[in-house]
Amino acid sequence: MLSLWLPRLPIDRIERLREVSSPLAVYGKRSNAELIVALDEAAERLGLHTGLALAQARAMHPHLHAIEEDAEANAALLEKIADWCLRYTPLVACDAPDGLLLDIGGCAHLYGGEEALVADLGERIARAGFAYNIAIAGTIGAAWAAAHFGEPARYACGEQRTLLAPLPLSALRLPADTVAALARVGLKRIGDIIDLPRAPLAARFGTELLRQLDRALGAEHEPLNPRLPVTPYVAEQRFPEPIAREEDVLAVIARLAARLQFALERRGDGARRLELTLFRTDGEVRRIAAGCSHPLRDPAQIRALFVERLTALSDEFDPGFGFDMARLSVLVAEPAPPEQIGIGGGEDDAEVARLVDRLSARLGTRRVRRLIAQDSHSPEIAAAAVPAQTAPADPGWPAFRHFRAYADLAPRPLRLLTRPEPIEAMAEVPDGPPLRFRWRRALHEVIAAEGPERIEGAWWSEHGGPARDYFRVEDKSGLRFWLFRSGLYRDLAQGAAAPTWFLHGTFA
Amino acid sequence: MIEQLRQRLQALQKTAGIADVASALPLGIAVIDDALGGGLARGALHEIAASSETHLAAATGFALGLVSSCRLLWLAEDMALIESGAPYGPGLDAFGLAPERLLTVSAARPRDLLWAMEETLRCRTIGAVIGEWRHGEIDMVALRRLSLAAAESGALALLLRAAPAGEASTAATRWIVGAAPNARFAAQLVRNRRGPTGSWILEWSDNDERFLLPTHAQPVAAPAPDRSHRKVA
Repeated sequence: MLSLWLPRLPIDRIERLREVSSPLAVYGKRSNAELIVALDEAAERLGLHTGLALAQARAMHPHLHAIEEDAEANAALLEKIADWCLRYTPLVACDAPDGLLLDIGGCAHLYGGEEALVADLGERIARAGFAYNIAIAGTIGAAWAAAHFGEPARYACGEQRTLLAPLPLSALRLPADTVAALARVGLKRIGDIIDLPRAPLAARFGTELLRQLDRALGAEHEPLNPRLPVTPYVAEQRFPEPIAREEDVLAVIARLAARLQFALERRGDGARRLELTLFRTDGEVRRIAAGCSHPLRDPAQIRALFVERLTALSDEFDPGFGFDMARLSVLVAEPAPPEQIGIGGGEDDAEVARLVDRLSARLGTRRVRRLIAQDSHSPEIAAAAVPAQTAPADPGWPAFRHFRAYADLAPRPLRLLTRPEPIEAMAEVPDGPPLRFRWRRALHEVIAAEGPERIEGAWWSEHGGPARDYFRVEDKSGLRFWLFRSGLYRDLAQGAAAPTWFLHGTFA
Repeated sequence: MIEQLRQRLQALQKTAGIADVASALPLGIAVIDDALGGGLARGALHEIAASSETHLAAATGFALGLVSSCRLLWLAEDMALIESGAPYGPGLDAFGLAPERLLTVSAARPRDLLWAMEETLRCRTIGAVIGEWRHGEIDMVALRRLSLAAAESGALALLLRAAPAGEASTAATRWIVGAAPNARFAAQLVRNRRGPTGSWILEWSDNDERFLLPTHAQPVAAPAPDRSHRKVA
């Protein structure tokens, strides 16, 4: 486990953006007081320390330059650094407000060992202008403690005890009042409590203390919560010379996909959702996801998915000075049968699925849709258009046809407006069809009408609205519309609003 | 064994090719099919324009009626869906077109729409593509590309327009369609590469899933039309 601490993150962020005068302090509100949260080197040399009240610091050093902290910007920057750290391992967790945790188990050898990895990480972080402390240890707790309080170094697994003993108790990530309570009885270092009888400790200072101690020592497992979901299949490649051209990126995708293919085949899986992570030489990270409607293994098809995604991104793609690393991960995998051989009915569906994938990748998943029927009387809900990639296998139409025949449903319009549009309508009798109406400034004389078909509002919902009486009407020129009156005249007596007319759809 | 399979594959490809490219989709109305040279040519672009924007639903119905037996993809721009409404499943079903057979695509820009239309035409299992266009003129190159893509795959490409267009076109046929009283369609064939033009009043039969000439114009006992082609979904 690797802990990376950026002790001057707020200062470094500001200094990266603009020239600022030194000594510099960043202050923030902590329980209604303005306290110093970060200092640059010059300010530290003056003897200031974090946690000091800003007013006091200013009194001591009137020339101190103080800037209020921007917690959001700091968090965003930390996220960006976390993204960048994905080049070392996909298992990166944010350790707010100013640290990161990397699970480098099993990937350090790619960099020639843990020491080489730390050297590489440190050099790049320093070049980007950040002060840092890095420690590697067998547990999250030990690595964190070493990075924040100990000698920045690498500790082998099993050395937690010797590493932790000399460190102060706050290195166990305990609440401040627990640390204060321990200090009152003379317990200051972790070594002071390691061998104490556990039961009285727990009784006096709470079980949290023992838990943190056990976790740091490795007696209890502490899970890492990576920012990104753990991916079942990953392939990556580093380039000695950065690549920038789209065709080079696509060639890399095909190569990585070919590597994934073996792993997928061995476990009988196919990829439903993939992510390509491109690491730009200047530290920017591009993450491009692509989905498909049926499990994929074929590298050519996976490459084809990204062809559309890259075209859709076009300008946003921006390779800058090039990418020096690429990773292809399968975010969602699904069992997939061995490829079907021959020409069957399934082949047609597979081809449509491939078309859906290409269109979805380029235009967006939500733009390529299938129609499904839903069990509802409300015309807006009765049918829906859902993304074709994720549409249910049973779209519900056979059931809908049964229902239509059984309920003897009146015909529905061919095209339904997204939102019913208000119209001015004149009716002869209060509950009857309109004689004429005006829609989008054109007047339509009704010569034939059928209805009403009453559809009750969703009375159980506040937004259900009043009952609707639907009419199919035909005007003089043969245009046919689906209109409804919202609200009933009989409800007027009970104080309901006057009924209003809407146009909801058009018939062929 | 492999040789046998190869032969079978060739045979399959051959029949598929003949059925897809060289055939036409008959409407089942002799006078129109004759004018079209057997029916609506597959592997070609056809333009169907509403006589005016308010008649778009009728033009939509006409286009859907023509290709109701095909696996279908419908494309429109976001604006068109807001202005004229989106295809409505229960309505399509009542019209005789199974909503299961339809895919819809909404495009943010005209460019995306033309790209998606071409891409879809390349897919051999989609029988017909309907693209709704409301941006006035279409660039000649784009039209030619659509025609070529349709010719390659044998699919039907229908361009549905909100108003008649004036520009030259590579389309095989051009129609102007409006609503007529009593739920009928007034269909004008204003351009036809294979034969004469004409103008008809048509009726859609939900049950037969085809167009008819209104009954008074038909003989009392019409021979049953050959509808074997409709088995191909």
